[in-house]
Amino acid sequence: MQTQSRQQRLAALRDIIADIERKPALAGMQARPFGADGEGFPRLPGGLLQEVFTDAVRNGGTSLAFALGQAKALLTPRRLAVLYLQLDKDAQFFGLPYGPGLSSFGFDPAQLVLVRAADMQDLFWVAEEALACRAVAGIVADIGGAPEALDFTISRRLSLRTVESGTSLFLLRYGTERQASAAHLRWHLMPQRSGRKAFDDRAPGAARWSLKLEKGNAGQHKSEWILEWTGNAFKSLPNWIGIAAQSPSGTPVSLSASALLANPISQAG
Amino acid sequence: MALDPDADREGLRLGQALADARAMVPSLTVMEQDSARLASAFAAFADWHSNASPLVTVLQDKTPFGDLILDITGVAHLFGGEAAMLDMVLSRLQTLNYTVSGAIAPTIGAAWAVSHSAKSAIISTEQLVETMDGLPVAALRLEESQISLLAQMGLKTIGELRTRPRKPLLARFGASLILRLDQAYGHIEERMTPRLPPAEHFVDRKFFEPISTLEDVLLTTEGLAQKLARRLEVQGLGAQTFHLFLYRVDHKVMTLSLNAARLTRDAEHIASLFRHRAQRLEQENYDPGFGIDLVRLAAASLDRLDPGQTGVFETDTGARDIEQLTDRLASRLGTLSVLKTELMASHIPEQAARLVPALVHQPQDIGLSSDRHRPLRLLPQPEPVAINAEVPDGLPASMIWRRQQYRLIKAAGPERISAEWWRSGKRLELVPAAHARSDEPGEKPKPSPYMPDLPPFDPMSGMRDYYVVEDGAGHRFWVFRQGLYGGSIHPVWYLHGIFP
Repeated sequence: MQTQSRQQRLAALRDIIADIERKPALAGMQARPFGADGEGFPRLPGGLLQEVFTDAVRNGGTSLAFALGQAKALLTPRRLAVLYLQLDKDAQFFGLPYGPGLSSFGFDPAQLVLVRAADMQDLFWVAEEALACRAVAGIVADIGGAPEALDFTISRRLSLRTVESGTSLFLLRYGTERQASAAHLRWHLMPQRSGRKAFDDRAPGAARWSLKLEKGNAGQHKSEWILEWTGNAFKSLPNWIGIAAQSPSGTPVSLSASALLANPISQAG
Repeated sequence: MALDPDADREGLRLGQALADARAMVPSLTVMEQDSARLASAFAAFADWHSNASPLVTVLQDKTPFGDLILDITGVAHLFGGEAAMLDMVLSRLQTLNYTVSGAIAPTIGAAWAVSHSAKSAIISTEQLVETMDGLPVAALRLEESQISLLAQMGLKTIGELRTRPRKPLLARFGASLILRLDQAYGHIEERMTPRLPPAEHFVDRKFFEPISTLEDVLLTTEGLAQKLARRLEVQGLGAQTFHLFLYRVDHKVMTLSLNAARLTRDAEHIASLFRHRAQRLEQENYDPGFGIDLVRLAAASLDRLDPGQTGVFETDTGARDIEQLTDRLASRLGTLSVLKTELMASHIPEQAARLVPALVHQPQDIGLSSDRHRPLRLLPQPEPVAINAEVPDGLPASMIWRRQQYRLIKAAGPERISAEWWRSGKRLELVPAAHARSDEPGEKPKPSPYMPDLPPFDPMSGMRDYYVVEDGAGHRFWVFRQGLYGGSIHPVWYLHGIFP
């Protein structure tokens, strides 16, 4: 009897803690979907610490796009800049955000400030400093590997600051390992085969990703999406597209190349 | 070379051979002069003297150590007159066991001449001609050869030299003699270049009891910033550059300089910038020595700044907050660490955008439409990849990048980007070639500027074919091939960017 009441009390305490952790950020959140149907990807409010995991550095374009896509929705006339943080030495390994590429993605490069820090300590200092500024819409930080500086303490600290400030902080992480963290949301992002490009079946079309919510609550019962970037917003696609694309029966381009040789004009395109 | 008073008494002189000197005084101590250290010590010394006058410089043309020059125009009254000031400057050095002599005179040449004849004196404008006439010619900062030639001619004093006809002097000694003469008498102005940037607007605070902790310095800075801000506001000015000078008791000056993104006179902002810079300073080396007895905050790069309205209607757009944030970040991380993208009118991918410090970034519109498909991340250095295509010139079919194999199932391209055709055939040059001038008959052809033996620019060599490729798992990359199959250069593949 005693043990049961104790367990009940423990459960109640856990609920309270969960409430404390979740509420300040997500309490006032309305799940306004991007798409027309209610199943779409929710438009997440600011003030969230989000970890975006991808499996390898080669997916860096994907995770940067996902973070910038969300940050773009957070830009307002009062919050008019997004910060991108990276370590000095990582520029070649990860690649730097590229102005014309940002424009063709749909993000105005003038609104992105790049900060190159010398070490992780500096990087987190910059993040905190930027969170204190009320004109920053979002912060995107590239974090390679599992640095020692990013422990539970600092992530808890950052998550409290994000809630306070209303600015979203996106930590782009790489690898399959997960450490304890106080992030509000943790995503697992995978690239998917691109959509169809009009008039050219062999060319990559609109970018598609599969997205899985590993931690936290985005205000919907759903936790897996297939997203397509339309140049302005995320479009949620039905799940079967991802399954179909995952099957290994893709025809390599080169097979049709011999047929194309007969038609030099189409090849030049 | 220099002698101390004891050596002088034994009859040694400058320019003597060391062996002779040793023969005369067997117990002679000879030390090599560490000129680099001497120069730096003297420079620190000069900086420290800017607590007497803002314009200080070191003349290094004649004496082995250099001469300290202070421009005290309009300063002397702060120290109770010229005599008191000279006394103060000299005596505080004498208490440190330096042998000093100094003079105040209307011209740099005269002050040098008088102080080097080992008298500490004040020469007024009326006395100038009279005093100078009596001094030996060596006091004019002349070359050794000129002095010995003058001695041979029997011209001993400056006065004798001054009254000679000028043309023969000019012919025999060159223009430098006449120049020095005119400068000493004030016919030609001699300019000095101050070591520290001259500051018109500064506030300072003296401490009776020297302070040493960084926290104290920063608190003082806050107070000074408020004073400076009030002063700037009264005059309707704003400043972009700020210098903080910390005068140490032991004659060194520490300088902290920083730039703001735009004109400001916001005391809080200035103080916070210095606070961030100081954190960095503390990590490296903050060394207050025996204490700091004067802190000075100076403003430079001033311009008109109209008073802003803090009014009923909200005009704050947030741009100001962003600027202050980038200021703070740059003051700690360095200017080159906080960057913005500037789009350039170029079709070559790595030249189409460049990263400039956010401090100097000017938003601009170059009117480029972005209808081209470009990657979200660009590698600063394209990385070589191994690419296979089934037929040469066909679409890439497989790729190895960073030791990983990718089977490419979609590809678009090529997008041919060739080098800038308007440079075609030109020789690559490091220095701009001088404008070709037809040689006049009889004139020797001038040697052309240094031109390294570079091959003529060949637009075909810089030509790239870009492809967007996608592999079975959905990774999208931007690769290019440099060179053509069957061309003179063997084609090489590179990976240049990563798409979302």
